[in-house]
Amino acid sequence: MALLEVKELVKSYGGRSVLDGVSFDLEEGESKVVMGPSGCGKSTLLRCLNLLIEPTSGAILLDGKDITRPGADVRAVRSRIGFVFQNFALYRHMSVLDNVTLALRRLKKLSKSEAEDRALHELDRMEMAEKRDAYPAALSGGQSQRVAIARALAMDPKVLFFDEPTSALDPIMVREVVTLINRLYLDNVTILCVTHDLGLAKHISDRVVFLDRGKVYAEDRIENLLHRDDPVIEDFFGGEG
Amino acid sequence: MLDAFPFFADVISYWPQIVRGLRDTILLSATITATGLVGGIGVFALTLSSKPSIRYLTQSYISLFIGTPLIVFLFLLYYGLPNLGVTLSPFAIAVFGFTLNVSAYNARYLTIAYKELDPAELESGRAQGFSRFQVFRLITAPQSLRMSVPALTNQAIQNVKDSSIVFLIQYIEFFAQMQEVASRTFLFFKTYLFTAFVYLLLVSVVVLIARRLERRLAIPGMSASVGS
Amino acid sequence: MSFIDILLTLLQGAGYTLLITFSCAATALFVGLGIAMARELGRTWTSAILSAWVYVFRGIPMLVLLFVVFFGLPGIGLDVPPLLAMMLSLGLISGAYLSEVFRGALAAVNPNEVLAAQAMGFTRFETLRLIKIPQMMRFSVPGMVNELTTVLKYSPFAYTVGLPEITKQAMALVATTMRGIEIYAAIGLIYFAIYRLLLSAVRLIEKRYRIPGFAEE
Repeated sequence: MALLEVKELVKSYGGRSVLDGVSFDLEEGESKVVMGPSGCGKSTLLRCLNLLIEPTSGAILLDGKDITRPGADVRAVRSRIGFVFQNFALYRHMSVLDNVTLALRRLKKLSKSEAEDRALHELDRMEMAEKRDAYPAALSGGQSQRVAIARALAMDPKVLFFDEPTSALDPIMVREVVTLINRLYLDNVTILCVTHDLGLAKHISDRVVFLDRGKVYAEDRIENLLHRDDPVIEDFFGGEG
Repeated sequence: MLDAFPFFADVISYWPQIVRGLRDTILLSATITATGLVGGIGVFALTLSSKPSIRYLTQSYISLFIGTPLIVFLFLLYYGLPNLGVTLSPFAIAVFGFTLNVSAYNARYLTIAYKELDPAELESGRAQGFSRFQVFRLITAPQSLRMSVPALTNQAIQNVKDSSIVFLIQYIEFFAQMQEVASRTFLFFKTYLFTAFVYLLLVSVVVLIARRLERRLAIPGMSASVGS
Repeated sequence: MSFIDILLTLLQGAGYTLLITFSCAATALFVGLGIAMARELGRTWTSAILSAWVYVFRGIPMLVLLFVVFFGLPGIGLDVPPLLAMMLSLGLISGAYLSEVFRGALAAVNPNEVLAAQAMGFTRFETLRLIKIPQMMRFSVPGMVNELTTVLKYSPFAYTVGLPEITKQAMALVATTMRGIEIYAAIGLIYFAIYRLLLSAVRLIEKRYRIPGFAEE
């Protein structure tokens, strides 16, 4: 049984379907990258999987249980999925440490010291422990993203979702963050990452799920995809690889 | 200190009334500032409701109270409530009327600040598993409030000044006491000048408190957007 | 007396309300601009005095100042007619607030444009007139609208000095008919209507003077 199973996921707004029957699986310890041209539905897909957006139809099985059914425990779902945003989304009115401990204290009901221990452990892993008292405004993009990842990891999720984690960063910071996510990948953290960054995909994916216009166009290892003689895929990658 | 102002000596000789009046002015101002703030947060929360009808009603309420004179509403309550069989003390009427009015303004300031918030932070809160109420309490409200400190403290200053109108609905506070002193001494110019001076002092105290609050509550890395 | 009759009687006072509002607003505009310009062109010590002036006029309640002018000044030999008393209280206070609006707007003018003008050889005064003031006016629109509506909302106090505007009419009506709720609700609506009318009028004027391509605040 895979950790995450997506079956015929559909999301439409009015008459327009953004996701038109997406299916794939994610095993524990696996890392998949979702890529595709703009408008293919990748960001919508991520947000449907943790129920930030309500799917129109289809099934999403997390640990074998369909979370799209009414009465599903949304909070439990979200605590098992760590979400890292493109623009970091750190709570700007709180220090780095408070950003990471907030959910631990309010949702997991840990005590202050327990929460801080966990938080510092993850911040250390991301090499941001010394900035514990800094505020987000004082951090660079790369630093912010590292804190965001620490914040997601602190909740001990079963899978980490990344929504364009490097798109808001300059090239040096991109390398910084790719290295860190790669380390998580090598640690067998289960990852689902939406990106258009080929370098990132190469470093952190077992397989790539290529979306086009709301459907899974192809799913394969990145090297295989790049060598495929396919106009849509070639169009997207622009002759790279 | 009183001897430093021989010019106002005649007026200051009525100090018992002055003190009583000041006490009531401060009581009223402080009360409506507090209730207006709490009310403002509540109304602000309503503007974020998921139900369009509640949002519409709340916006209409805000629009209405920002667009009409406070004194008219106070008169409405003062002269109108008895017709409905409701008798309230002038203080109660003042507090009720001011609260509705000030809440609308504060809600408007909070809404302006809210527009500066990063929606991704709110989405992140939901993604972590926080309920809508928790996102409001932990992220939306703290940020909106801290960004509105200048506007909210300006409102507090306005409350002190506006408290001077309640003598028109028979609540006796500092200004009312001074009018009485003036009519007794016939020193209208001196008395009212003194009154203005005292209000200036009161306002200055609030300004000092406000500046300290602004420094302490500013979100690092962000300049307050509202009312500075 | 039906509700319509009440409305019609009250509307007679509306003329005075508008007169008072516009007189005080005009005073405020004149004073506010004057202070803002004086601060721009003046020395440090003049700016300091003006800052103090603005602080004082933003720190005293309008009603108190009105009483100082209307009831106090006669005591030292200066009789002030009611409308002038309103202008010297509400107008001066609003002018102080407006001067701050203009000060902020002036500071928001792009300094590069000022430098460019100076590089072209314009004097300080010309730069002010041709570059700073036009932009300042456009940035000040929200603040000016705010002050105008504030003046409207403080105009009722004119009744305390005898001007027969709407609120005075209302009080007379309530005394005779005892229908407090309807009457005050009615003038509330009238004020609200005037408020909305003013807002719409400003929007129209704003549209006419919009700079193409200029980002809206």
